[in-house]
Amino acid sequence: MYRLALNMLFGDRAKLAMLLCGLAFSALLMAQQTSVFFGIMSWTYTPVYNIRAPIWVSDPMVEQANDAKPMRDTDLYRVRSVDGVAWAAPLHTSFLQARMQDGNFKLITMVGIDADTFAGAPAVLSQGLIEDLRLPNTVIVDEWGAQLMGRVTKGPDGKDVVIPLKVGDTFEVNDLEARIVGICKVRRAFTGGPFVYTTYDRTKLYTLGARRTLSFMLVEPQAGVDPVKLCARIEADTGLKAWTSDTVIWSWSDRSLARNTFWWFWKNTGIPFSFGTAVALGLFVGIAVSGQTFYSFVLENLKYFAAIKAMGAGMGVIARMLLVQAFTAGLLGFGLGVGMAQAIGRAMIEKGMPPFIMFPQIFWATLALVLGISLVSAIIGIIKVSRVDAATVFRG
Amino acid sequence: MSTHAAHTVAVRTHGVDMFFGDGETKVTALKQADFEANRGELIMLVGPSGCGKTTLLSVIAGTLTPQTGTVEVFGQRLDGLSQEELTTFRRKHLGFVFQSFNLIPTLTVLENVMVPLLIQGAAHDEAVAKARAMLEKVGLKGREYGQPNALSGGQQQRVAIARALVHEPSLLICDEPTSALDKDTGAQIMQMVRDLSRSPERCVVVVTHDHRIFRFADRIAEMEDGRIRRVVEDASLLDTNHL
Repeated sequence: MYRLALNMLFGDRAKLAMLLCGLAFSALLMAQQTSVFFGIMSWTYTPVYNIRAPIWVSDPMVEQANDAKPMRDTDLYRVRSVDGVAWAAPLHTSFLQARMQDGNFKLITMVGIDADTFAGAPAVLSQGLIEDLRLPNTVIVDEWGAQLMGRVTKGPDGKDVVIPLKVGDTFEVNDLEARIVGICKVRRAFTGGPFVYTTYDRTKLYTLGARRTLSFMLVEPQAGVDPVKLCARIEADTGLKAWTSDTVIWSWSDRSLARNTFWWFWKNTGIPFSFGTAVALGLFVGIAVSGQTFYSFVLENLKYFAAIKAMGAGMGVIARMLLVQAFTAGLLGFGLGVGMAQAIGRAMIEKGMPPFIMFPQIFWATLALVLGISLVSAIIGIIKVSRVDAATVFRG
Repeated sequence: MSTHAAHTVAVRTHGVDMFFGDGETKVTALKQADFEANRGELIMLVGPSGCGKTTLLSVIAGTLTPQTGTVEVFGQRLDGLSQEELTTFRRKHLGFVFQSFNLIPTLTVLENVMVPLLIQGAAHDEAVAKARAMLEKVGLKGREYGQPNALSGGQQQRVAIARALVHEPSLLICDEPTSALDKDTGAQIMQMVRDLSRSPERCVVVVTHDHRIFRFADRIAEMEDGRIRRVVEDASLLDTNHL
């Protein structure tokens, strides 16, 4: 009977197309919006993602990775003296204005790393050498920043053309020269400005006037020391806040800086609400369109279901037929919708905007929701058919 | 049912009352309806509109349960059976031919005929083979993979007959089987029903208004006001203007 149920479904191509459109649109909206949402939210903990250190130490009032509250340089020595710490390096982060050669100003995120160990340096450089950062007045700019801060000129066709910054180019920060010695590849930040790396000591010059420049400390535990236990020890010994650097936002760890950053933005911004609205809209549109279309499919076939009932099919068989029809449409709609979301996502990734991350959880959650829509549609149909009296087949 | 094999009565209703609604809206459809049909017989239920023919047919088919009275089909009492038991009974013993064919338009002719077999739980290949054989019997060989809507009215009713008989039911219920057909096609269809149902293990009950097909009946039961008024063997004894 299930094969016949499918033939009934596929035989009505107009209804099937409508049903698939509703389900696919719903799946697309839910998967695409959720993936963009998580993409954008993943930018919130970019510092932790870009700078891989087992433990981050901050001022105790810090709530998330973009919220640097400067500490005293002497705090670094206190942390280094905690039992179980192999090494600790200073890290500075601040938002500054960079003055370009054409006089234009751009907002940048300056990152100061330890010049001795280069702890916190970008992992991949597409141009230049990290060691050149030890030369006077030198910086490393990320690829997106090189593009954003590039020089705009007129092309042969009269249109604006951006010539990206390259090694050797210069700009100014607080009237001090910053000479580019490298271009790096890092993930972009939620806060917008491109990353400009320099040495920790040099940030004191660029942030002229700032009394404290120690934003975070990057800590490596000694071999065999559990990072979570070391965090607790650092907090107990120094009164500072210690975080682990895992970027699993789904974890229950209170110590994860990435997770805390993610949920801070979740609670304190309207982003989840706006994206949640779009996802809810997808769900409701799916239920409305698919439910209505499937209901109309059932209505159109009601007299045939009544005939099948009269011929001796129990409600169990008919219910399973309707479930097979609804779930088949659901799976096809899901495939189409998520396929389109992936295609759009790939196009986005190539352009870099907006960010797109389809976690396996998003895939499975979308599948569950689409099948939920199918189930609701099937239940509506089953209720309708169950109320049909088999005797109606004798009434013309 | 085998214990009743020697019994000649296939269908019997006794003292059946059937009404719908209550209070001022109460409509009595059957009043002490007594009816009998024999094995190997094609019996027609005739009468004016609203006399209770379709209700009696539904009671015999087990799709309606009467408020009072007994219903027996091939030795099985239907009154008192649960809905599930009635469903099982219909699945095993009943075949239906409907006024408007009720062929599922999105299925092929072959698939439509397979439906009763698949409801019974037959394997797909077995259902295909039996449905093919039955379609050949009703003269529709070569039409198996067409859509029902592509067939003429007569051909569609032949498909419906094939569907009604493919699982070899004991009781064939036909509700106005020729009302959508012209005279000649209607006659052909009734001849086919009569030929295919001629078996001591089978009984055919036909509800009809169409006096042109009365000649195919072994007996005709005339209904009036919810009860059987009389049963005749010769259609000429009926006042067709009254029907």
